[in-house]
Amino acid sequence: MDDSAKALPHEDALPEALIDLLSRVSRPGRYVGGEFNARQKVDGHPRVVLSYPDVYEIGISNPALQILHTRLNDDSSALCERAFCPWPDMAAAMRAAGKRLWSLESYADVGDCDLWGFTLPHELTYTNILEMLDLAAVPLHAADRGDGDPIVLGGGPGTANPLPLASFFDAFFVGEVEDRLSEIVAAFAATTRAQRLTDLAAVPGVWLPGSRAPAERQVFMGFSRSLPVTEPLVPVLEAVHDRAVIEVMRGCTAGCRFCQAGMWYRPVRERPVDLVVEAADRTLAATGCDEVSLISLSSCDYSGIEAAVTAIRALRPGLRVSLPSLRIASAAVQLARLGGEQRGSVTLAPEAGTQELRDAINKGVDDESFEEAVRATFTSGFTGLKLYFMIGLPGEDESAVRAIAEMAVRAAAIAKRIARGRARLSLAVSSYVPKANTPFQWERFAGTSVLRERQALLRAAVPRGVRVSFHDIGASVVEAALARGDADASALIESAWRHGARFDGWSEKFKLDAWRAAASELGQDLDEIASRAPAGDMPWEAAITARIDRDFLIAERGKAATREQTVDCRTGACALCGACLDDVQMDVVG
Amino acid sequence: MSHWLVRFDRHGSACYVSHLDTARALQRTFARAGIALALSEGMRPKPRLSLGLPLPVGAAASDELAVVEVVGECADISAALRALRAAAARGIEPHSIAVVEAHPHPVALAATYECTLAADAAAVSAALTRFANASQAVVERVSPKGSRRLDLKEFIEEAWCRPDGDATRLGFTVRHRQDGAARPQEFVDLVAGYAGVEAVMRALYRASVTYKGLPAQGRAGQSIGAT
Ligand code: SF4
Repeated sequence: MDDSAKALPHEDALPEALIDLLSRVSRPGRYVGGEFNARQKVDGHPRVVLSYPDVYEIGISNPALQILHTRLNDDSSALCERAFCPWPDMAAAMRAAGKRLWSLESYADVGDCDLWGFTLPHELTYTNILEMLDLAAVPLHAADRGDGDPIVLGGGPGTANPLPLASFFDAFFVGEVEDRLSEIVAAFAATTRAQRLTDLAAVPGVWLPGSRAPAERQVFMGFSRSLPVTEPLVPVLEAVHDRAVIEVMRGCTAGCRFCQAGMWYRPVRERPVDLVVEAADRTLAATGCDEVSLISLSSCDYSGIEAAVTAIRALRPGLRVSLPSLRIASAAVQLARLGGEQRGSVTLAPEAGTQELRDAINKGVDDESFEEAVRATFTSGFTGLKLYFMIGLPGEDESAVRAIAEMAVRAAAIAKRIARGRARLSLAVSSYVPKANTPFQWERFAGTSVLRERQALLRAAVPRGVRVSFHDIGASVVEAALARGDADASALIESAWRHGARFDGWSEKFKLDAWRAAASELGQDLDEIASRAPAGDMPWEAAITARIDRDFLIAERGKAATREQTVDCRTGACALCGACLDDVQMDVVG
Repeated sequence: MSHWLVRFDRHGSACYVSHLDTARALQRTFARAGIALALSEGMRPKPRLSLGLPLPVGAAASDELAVVEVVGECADISAALRALRAAAARGIEPHSIAVVEAHPHPVALAATYECTLAADAAAVSAALTRFANASQAVVERVSPKGSRRLDLKEFIEEAWCRPDGDATRLGFTVRHRQDGAARPQEFVDLVAGYAGVEAVMRALYRASVTYKGLPAQGRAGQSIGAT
């Protein structure tokens, strides 16, 4: 039987120390890479590690990471790898074994890379950043790092207010980085940390904490002419999304006043339909997916949407095309049906219960179009409808909360009439958190007790048979405490992390006690921090220029108070938001 | 439709992929290779691809089995194999295809494993002798559903060992019965306990699985190995 012993192929790349750890944790496949379309690049300079501060299954699907990983590896001299936040069982095993965070491609220590780039998706991932720095044995504070440490750079939506993280990052890139990658890579030709930082600071969009010159948000004007990533990394593990993803449009000018992304990614830029269809065809071949998702902040508003859906469906028999968010209009629902999606459910986001409040947030939805969209959902063959609402919006009162339940009653009646027993209706209700660079940035967060009362009110008013889920109020409090925080918020984040806060976006992992303890250790009250409304100059204005005129934000806030609508500048007049200037202009199909 | 038996390797990072994810990865490999799998009937059709005996997470193997139903007849099986290999994920690599006449329903009879134990070969050898001479070797399997007692003597067909540097390479064959089978870790725990060493199983490798219900490869159709 000895003769049957074959070579042991499975030790080809994984270091022994890693194999030991993998045998002790849940879902070990999270930590070893090996995706379809993984790049085989073994050499390059600088060595870049990109991270999304959440667990692998969430991070791997992040479109920004896919773009940067592809572009850096395929179009630059850099060697780009990835690392995600280890789940607590792995983090504990790593600490016990003294093993440092490794990259998924070479299994080499992340702490030895030249540039460690984090995408900053939302505030509830911030403690994970500290967890990752610590597991990589990289000093938490930029001020404590030396020549042997990587330069830690943050990018993504969180840079709308980078101040709470400023202490932990050496630099931030503000806006869309595609056009600036070569300049960032070039900064690493320098051999010293100090010189690299100096060269980085000269790249448009880069802000170094402590610098008095704010960085201007960068807009990628090559978007419409560039092919999206067509050979994305596809995990072998089941990920959150298993679809070929094509970004059809960037930016949204619908003008919802609560929406940070809608303000941040202006102006709108669209990819031509033929480019979208070509990308879909190539991506399907490279991924083996049987579904295409046309993503953007509001894909129904993409000018070429119907033509793109029709042409993509014709590429392969049985192919489905999904749209992640539907406008509240029967035409949008018909469009989802055109995509072959009628098997499942539709998500619509009225956001608020009364016409008044929807006008205040500039949502532009009336009761009639809502009911039409609900009718279209069930007559199109969908059997499920999920409605998104927010509570705690500025100007909201109890009657507005009761109105959410009344909308659910009307939707349930329509569902029953058309789909009878097969219809499923659910409400997902989140708590509104005011964000930087929006017209509501001066507004007060509703706070724990108001949100608790309104959740109870809504829970009691929602008709039987309608499922309702609420976002955790404690998590919203933390989000509010950080979203408009200044540099002092970094102490709160660090203290919460030291008290055990991790994976704050995961309800089963979120520890409000850790955050409360952190705040009281700093002599503060978490709810009080969350409820502060900044006045005058916003703290982040010292770090970034968002390309959104302050006058525009003030005007929009005023219009919210008088329930006045602002039309989408794609179909109506320019609202002078400040995004379009010089070579940055709206760029739509046709 | 045609029925294929696909044999594939699992190694490196792919050892840490679950049974379900491996099946999904192979489905994707077929899609990437442009080979259409037949779909099941019903509201939510699924590709007709099933794997043989599940491989423990962390184990390598070089002769795993997938039974697939492919749309149409394939004129060039070696071209199909090349396409599959080019489309495969790292570490889950098809190396042969046998075309068979009907859809087989293989049932595992036995599986042979090897692993390395951080122990002296003489101690492991003595442990195996003790196992061979014992009338019973009962272990308890505890799961959320309750506990179950298994006599490993009923499941381990043969076992051997040989020195492997400072450590020992342990090999054994597990018999699969209708009521289940012993897990490799259970036997390794027992042997390590007898040998007085820590039961840390390294480099677990499944050398082979014997099935009933499989046609002899190459008889019913073509069998092409990777070169
Ligand atoms: S500047 Fe005018 S056209 Fe450009 S995004 Fe703003 S509102 Fe729209």
